[in-house]
Amino acid sequence: MNVIEIRGLRKDYPLGKTTVHALRGVDFEVEEGSFLSIIGPSGSGKTTLLNIIGCIDSPSAGSVKIHGEEITRLNDRQITDLRLNRIGFIFQTFNLIPVLNVWENVEFPLLLMKKHKKEEVDARVEKLIREVGLINYINHKPAELSGGQRQRVAIARALVTNPDIVLADEPTANLDSETSHSILELMRELNEVEKTTFIFSTHDPEVLDYAKEIVKIKDGIIVKQG
Amino acid sequence: MDLAIVFKMSWRNLWRHKGKSLVIGVILFFGAFLMTVGNGMVSGMEAGLSNNIINLFTGDIVVISNEQEKDDILFSFSGKPLKTIKNFEAVKEVLDTHSAINTYLPATAGMVYVFNSGTDLGSIMLLGVDFDRYRKVFPDSIVLTEGAIFKTGERGLLVTEEARKQGYEAMNFWTLPVNGELIPEKLPEEAKANIDSLEIKRDIVFMGLSTTNSTPDVRVDVTGIVNFKALNKIWGNFCIIDIESFREAHNYVTGADQNIEISEEKRQLLEDDGLDSFFSTESLIDNSLVTDTDLSIETIKTATQRSGRPVNINSGAYNLAFIKLKKGIKPEKALAELNQAFQSKNLNVRAISWKKAMGSIGSMAFLIKIAFNAFIMFIFVVAIIVIVNTLSMAAMERASEIGMMRAIGARKGFLRKMFIYETGVLSFFFGGIGIIAGIIMIYLLQSANVTTADEILQLVFGGEQLNPIFTYKDLLLGLVELLIVTLLAVLYPLRIVGKIVPLDAIARD
Repeated sequence: MNVIEIRGLRKDYPLGKTTVHALRGVDFEVEEGSFLSIIGPSGSGKTTLLNIIGCIDSPSAGSVKIHGEEITRLNDRQITDLRLNRIGFIFQTFNLIPVLNVWENVEFPLLLMKKHKKEEVDARVEKLIREVGLINYINHKPAELSGGQRQRVAIARALVTNPDIVLADEPTANLDSETSHSILELMRELNEVEKTTFIFSTHDPEVLDYAKEIVKIKDGIIVKQG
Repeated sequence: MDLAIVFKMSWRNLWRHKGKSLVIGVILFFGAFLMTVGNGMVSGMEAGLSNNIINLFTGDIVVISNEQEKDDILFSFSGKPLKTIKNFEAVKEVLDTHSAINTYLPATAGMVYVFNSGTDLGSIMLLGVDFDRYRKVFPDSIVLTEGAIFKTGERGLLVTEEARKQGYEAMNFWTLPVNGELIPEKLPEEAKANIDSLEIKRDIVFMGLSTTNSTPDVRVDVTGIVNFKALNKIWGNFCIIDIESFREAHNYVTGADQNIEISEEKRQLLEDDGLDSFFSTESLIDNSLVTDTDLSIETIKTATQRSGRPVNINSGAYNLAFIKLKKGIKPEKALAELNQAFQSKNLNVRAISWKKAMGSIGSMAFLIKIAFNAFIMFIFVVAIIVIVNTLSMAAMERASEIGMMRAIGARKGFLRKMFIYETGVLSFFFGGIGIIAGIIMIYLLQSANVTTADEILQLVFGGEQLNPIFTYKDLLLGLVELLIVTLLAVLYPLRIVGKIVPLDAIARD
């Protein structure tokens, strides 16, 4: 079953008097439980594609369906709720809330959902923090953590709401190779155990070894999928 | 749970951005401080003016003749006397029955010329009253410093210390009450130096202003020297005189006039406007008045002395009435009702506010109040501009963080709440301290006993002493002002926050 269906996706950015065509008509599906990597050189449109799938950016033309729902027709509040309930994000630069500690950062999306009891929240947060190996760091603020530790917090936060899709934009770009491998191992493990769909972009060949599927993008067009 | 996390994040953000928080906090502190002191000054001024103008002299409303061209009747020096109120009995009926009126004082007011041998004519302002009634309407408004108060029905003049000083400066005499002792300490320095040659006057001869040059001279004994309870630089210009003497000096109808019994023929003659009647042969010479008796000065004095018959002084003429309203009555409403009542009965009078009656002095008080409020508004605006700037900068600097929160599912409302909480906490913490500091300052100013002899400053102070007051109403007003500042200051930054999109989390990295 496809969790994502993209048809004729285009994204243009006006840049002064010219227009940059970031995506030039992308057709693309992702099955549930995939562990998919989008690869391509810098400026090929990887991040733009991820942003549109994650409802962070809107397309210039085309259709994007998540679980059969056309996201281009949703209003701001519906899109926000979709991001909260169905999509987890892992950013290249970790993007944690600086004033919250590890526990609170992971807990944050669950508090926004306002539908879980405190015991449920605590149990879910503790489980994920344990899984990412930071149970001894729950009171640490992001500034007191290493890059790898911050990315683990970001992964735990992305997974805490039990999303259908986790999008990770170059999640290992700012990490050393050892930490990168441990992060990717963690993501693969969660994909196998939780059956969560992972889509991550990279241009690091070593990361590709972890991917079950690869989509290659060049100049805003998918040139290879499989 | 939502509010708890919002509050937690807001609180920690304030500590994280200590510098900006402190800048906004200091502005809010000074804003709240100045607002509190400013409100206290305005309240003090209002209370002072209310006590020292309305309760001391003018009442809330003044009734004057419609023939009076201008409203500034108390301090205008137009050279014309105030027009008398015609048919005061009918006016009295309206005043006696109007439900908004607590009490009123019919009176006469105006400038008179003072005669003095050796100098030019001087002038003083007189307020002619039935003194017993004056005391009832304006109790404790004056303090007797020398001599005695005259009673109702008696002739007498109460000279203010201020007018006595002015009299010395203009006409070189020092006024003392009949039987009063000279108190050298009260003399101006120049008079002290020439105390042996100092001219003392225990009565004043004066003449009322008239457009017909037909007013008589009146001599009145000075019975006492008085001070007004406050605003002596202003009220001290008015000496208080028995109303009959005032009327005589202005050729007004006196209470005694109403007592005179004359023949029907003479009454008709007086009431006849035709000049021919004065020249008819029958009435040109009244033989009954021709006498062979030798007329000595003493005989004339005896023949022309005032009648000993009891006089109803309330039956004479008045040129104004000071009205005090009942507590809680809005002066504007009462003013409109009174004027409507006067019009409906075709009475040729109008009711005006005390401010109008005071002329430029009343306007000055109003302008000072406006200036105070404008100052407070200015503080408001400056505080809002600086806070808006600082918060907007903070919102833009935190665009990446806010965008990230949007990306992981935070609604705009959540982020707006966070900003409102941050500003609210700052407002009520620093603003609260500012209000407390302002209240302390009000009490310090009260106990500092700052006094002034300057007329303008007396209006600013609402009296001779600076007396800002703290009221719970002002506290509430301060809190409301703080709330308004906070809400207005946070509006634009909230717009910025609302415009931050999840893409900003990535784009600004």
